[in-house]
Amino acid sequence: MGPLLSLSQFWFLRETVAVVEAAMALPPPDPQFVLRGTGAPVNTLHFCCRNQEQDKPLLFSGSANGAVHVWNLRTRRTESVLEGHGGASVLWVQTLNSRDALISQGRDLRVCMWDLAEGRSVVTDSILTESVGFCQCSLLDREGGHWLLAVPGADMAAVRVLDLPSKTPVCTLKPDAKLGMPMCLKLWQPDSGSSPLLWAGYEDGSVSLWNLSERSLLSRLACHAEPVMSLDFDPGKLRGVSGSSEKAINSWTLDGQQSLKLQDSVELVNPGISYLCIREDRRILATAGWDHRIRLLGWKKLKPLAVLQYHTDVVQCVAFSDHDVPSKRLMAAGSKDQRISFWSVYNQI
Amino acid sequence: MDSGPLAVHLAVRQCINTLSTSRDITEVTEALRTAGRYLSGTEDDPPACQREEFARAHYTKLLQFLISNLNAHWLELLTPEQHMDLWVSLFLNGPPDQVLLVLLDCVNSCSMSSGLERGLDVLEYFLQRGRLSALLWATCQGPPPANSPQLRDALLSRLVALPDLLANRLQEHTRPAFQPLHYYPLLARELSVALERTCQALREEMFGVLVPCLSALTQSDFVWKRVCWQLVESVPDRWMEGVVSGLVQTVDGSAALSRLLGNVVLKNKKAQFVITNKLLLLQYKYKTPMLQSLLGYLAEDSGRRPLLIQVLKALCGTWSSCSAVKHSPIEQQLYISKALLICLGLLRDSEVLEHREELLQCMLSGMQCHLDSSIPRVHHLGKVVGESLSARLDPGGTRLQFQYELDTETKELLSLLSPPPAHQQPPETLPPDSRTEPAPKSPSSEREEGKAGVPAARPIKQHSSDSELDSDDELTPYDMTRDGELGGALAPRYIRDCLEALTSSEDPGKVEVSLGAAEGLIKKNPAATREVSVELVKVLLHLEDRFNTQGFLRLRQRAMVSLTVTDTLAVTGYLTTEFYSLNYSLRQRLDILEVLALAAQDLSQPTSANSAPSKHKPPPLIQPVSTETAPDLQGTGQHWRRVVDQRIESKTRRFGKGAPRTGSSAAPSRFAPVAGCFFFPLLRNYDRPQVTFDLLGSDHLVLGRLVHTLGVLMYFAVNAPVATQMGKALLDFVWAIRYHTDPVVRQGVLFAVSAVLLSVPNERMFSELSDEMLEARAWLGDVAEADPDADCRGLAGQSLLLLEKILKKSIGSPSRGPNDQALQL
Repeated sequence: MGPLLSLSQFWFLRETVAVVEAAMALPPPDPQFVLRGTGAPVNTLHFCCRNQEQDKPLLFSGSANGAVHVWNLRTRRTESVLEGHGGASVLWVQTLNSRDALISQGRDLRVCMWDLAEGRSVVTDSILTESVGFCQCSLLDREGGHWLLAVPGADMAAVRVLDLPSKTPVCTLKPDAKLGMPMCLKLWQPDSGSSPLLWAGYEDGSVSLWNLSERSLLSRLACHAEPVMSLDFDPGKLRGVSGSSEKAINSWTLDGQQSLKLQDSVELVNPGISYLCIREDRRILATAGWDHRIRLLGWKKLKPLAVLQYHTDVVQCVAFSDHDVPSKRLMAAGSKDQRISFWSVYNQI
Repeated sequence: MDSGPLAVHLAVRQCINTLSTSRDITEVTEALRTAGRYLSGTEDDPPACQREEFARAHYTKLLQFLISNLNAHWLELLTPEQHMDLWVSLFLNGPPDQVLLVLLDCVNSCSMSSGLERGLDVLEYFLQRGRLSALLWATCQGPPPANSPQLRDALLSRLVALPDLLANRLQEHTRPAFQPLHYYPLLARELSVALERTCQALREEMFGVLVPCLSALTQSDFVWKRVCWQLVESVPDRWMEGVVSGLVQTVDGSAALSRLLGNVVLKNKKAQFVITNKLLLLQYKYKTPMLQSLLGYLAEDSGRRPLLIQVLKALCGTWSSCSAVKHSPIEQQLYISKALLICLGLLRDSEVLEHREELLQCMLSGMQCHLDSSIPRVHHLGKVVGESLSARLDPGGTRLQFQYELDTETKELLSLLSPPPAHQQPPETLPPDSRTEPAPKSPSSEREEGKAGVPAARPIKQHSSDSELDSDDELTPYDMTRDGELGGALAPRYIRDCLEALTSSEDPGKVEVSLGAAEGLIKKNPAATREVSVELVKVLLHLEDRFNTQGFLRLRQRAMVSLTVTDTLAVTGYLTTEFYSLNYSLRQRLDILEVLALAAQDLSQPTSANSAPSKHKPPPLIQPVSTETAPDLQGTGQHWRRVVDQRIESKTRRFGKGAPRTGSSAAPSRFAPVAGCFFFPLLRNYDRPQVTFDLLGSDHLVLGRLVHTLGVLMYFAVNAPVATQMGKALLDFVWAIRYHTDPVVRQGVLFAVSAVLLSVPNERMFSELSDEMLEARAWLGDVAEADPDADCRGLAGQSLLLLEKILKKSIGSPSRGPNDQALQL
């Protein structure tokens, strides 16, 4: 009798708390600060905040006018502006292990490697991608100063994988079925297997998993009716999420037989996801929406948590900072309205 | 109080004292108020005997005092309201004969001064407020006073000679109201009012005394009942109508009526005719309670019930007769509908079953007539009665259902059905008024529902509780209520994009935005608009409100109007051709007419090239008829600007601010050169009936609008060279349909005629249209007198007035035009 009673009381308390919470839900937070001055829509963001003690925290932003801005997050000013793509829109930026080596992809069909050490800003090398699409590259760090880079290929449907810094092609992945152009890529090194894998979202709305060493398609899941705009994968739970121009976000799982299954779907108010990103602690999923809003969802259950409204145009990218102290990890969002907003959300645990 | 006369005497004396000596305004007003209380006080304040005493002995004295103090200083101190309420009302509320005599004496004795002016003011009020009829009525009433012959003679001579008296005294300063031209018609009117009151009073007195008495006596006493019946039955035929209709009007309730009348309706042919025919079908001035008691009387007795059925059939016949619906005045139709509904309420179910076929027939044909009518009230009436009929015919089965507003008239009509046929209570227990109230059943039943509803609170959501125990709910969600739909598609920037979106888009937001942007785009780039104008107007004309867009009709209409204004020749050519072509709905044809009229208005108004803000624009003469108004369509954009402007205006000081500049610089009318393109094609094909469109046949609503629109076009073509030809053509056209059966068409015709009168230059009118004008004058006179529709009569009267004015003017100064007159319709 006793435990039963307390259980029911517990349930009742929870319910009460939930009701009170629902009634007193806090208004969504405002941005911590906003960076302006890119002069063009912001396409991509990349944080570089480790080793705070020695170095200043940086943010790299690539914008549609071909410039990569290096922002100092302490002074909130531009450190430098890198112009290496001849005015063609920069789709993607990433650092290679340290803050001194940067890689950027532009719509001039080139991927540039930058040397930023000691105040230099020189393009040391570049790769011709031959892809005219908007698909971003993906980078995977391998031991021994090597990286794998997945690049959309010259052939519309193909994905090339290169070894960096040697630039030797590892493989070219081309699906047999007609899936259309690749829209988004993500390289993944599973803990167990030795062979790296590649996630690719295609124009026909399907998400595919490729084995790089066997050059084979491991699994394919048609999870959207429209092109997949962005995907992210959580290697811990073997669970991924993808967004398209539809009104829904879908999450899917990878089971032991390496096959993909649709798991969950969250309906959105407005259609269109341009980018989505799981935070490093795997608790929060952030989406950048065509409806000018950033949405936060709990990653476990895809429970909607917040809708952040600040931007006045399509939000194109979100990124979480890699700050050493978890409570200081900010979220940044870049939008077509040429602003980068910074948010502090769900950090206080 | 036996010292009544003394008290009055003292009070009046005190008043006069105060008024003549006091310099304090509050004392003066108090004194005036005291005196006024004897004339218009409440029930008991001054007792009735005191009031009589005052009127008899002191009123004249008081008036004479007031008149002799017309120049008193305190008169200046009164505010205008006080002047009216306290001082003037003393003259207007008292016995009118004394007032008239005193006032005329004053006019004779006073010299020209401001005091005399005041006296004349009062006299004018006296005439205006109908005190003459009060005077006449007062002399008709009651026994003649003791000094009657002299007083009467004096009064009579003054009444008759009032204009002469005043003119003698005032010479040329006499006022218009006192001139014979105004005074004698007034006197005649007042005479007729007094006569009518006398007649009415004689009748009322007779029945007012007799009926309650008889009604009370017959209630318990059978002998009295027999006496009454005998009395009524032996009334000679010539007087039967007066007796019966008087009785019916005064008796309270059907049971009393049946006690008084007995079965006279079965025994006397004349009485039967009056009751079953004259009071119901021929006259319609009686009130609803009378109808209820009359029909209740017929239903009360089994012997009289066949008459009720007969009455019902007759009512049905009238109600469902097309010609009655078309030609009888709306008040009569309302009366008949009321009677029909009361009959339905009184019928037993078995009787309904017995006569089901006939009632059904009546309902079907009657519904058609009513729904065909273009007068909204008739339409409405048809819906209400039809619905009730069908509900009565098939209580459980399918029934007609219409959408209509529940206004007071509808409620009254529906309440007439409420005495249930089984519930044949004598109305002593149920006064006639209480029948019209809704059945008192609903509140209690609501309460019961409420009781049941309270304990059954909303079921508590349970399903979500356990699954969340292990989930990420330590992350508290923020408020997400603001996460609404994004504001739709982007507005098109080019007219061609707009056109494409309207033709092919399936996206509601895009269509809505395109429709909203259309007017602006059309105006922004006239050259681009001209390339696609006809195509676009075609699309707009056929556009359907697929997505229930807010303000759809208005947006579409504005777009079409601005298209017409931008590319007048092509678009009017298209629209006027399409008006007569096949396969358009009535709505579309009406839309075409509305667009043409509004475009004509836009074109005829002077434009300022720098597009002045709409603040100074005069309100448009034509208001869109569509009920759907969308005030916030431009509101969001314009609102802040208006607020800012107002604020600036309020903070701005201007020195020597002159008259506001009207800013209407002269510009050639844009409508004058193209008026013919609007006008003549619409006149071309009206007499060619088509499969879907028969203008001279059943589609008289469109015909009415067409004539009206032609009138509007005519009106805007004022000063255009083509106006004379247009007027001639329009008169020819409307001549053929001037006796159309539908009042809407006749109203349109009258409007068109007055538009012709206003727009065609005078000299041309008499040189070229003289025959038509003469005919029109005769016809207008005819309509103004005899048309069954009140609006038509009014319009005809106004047109006639206009015509006479033009005639007079053109005879006086043949060179001036009538164009500065406003259209007063």
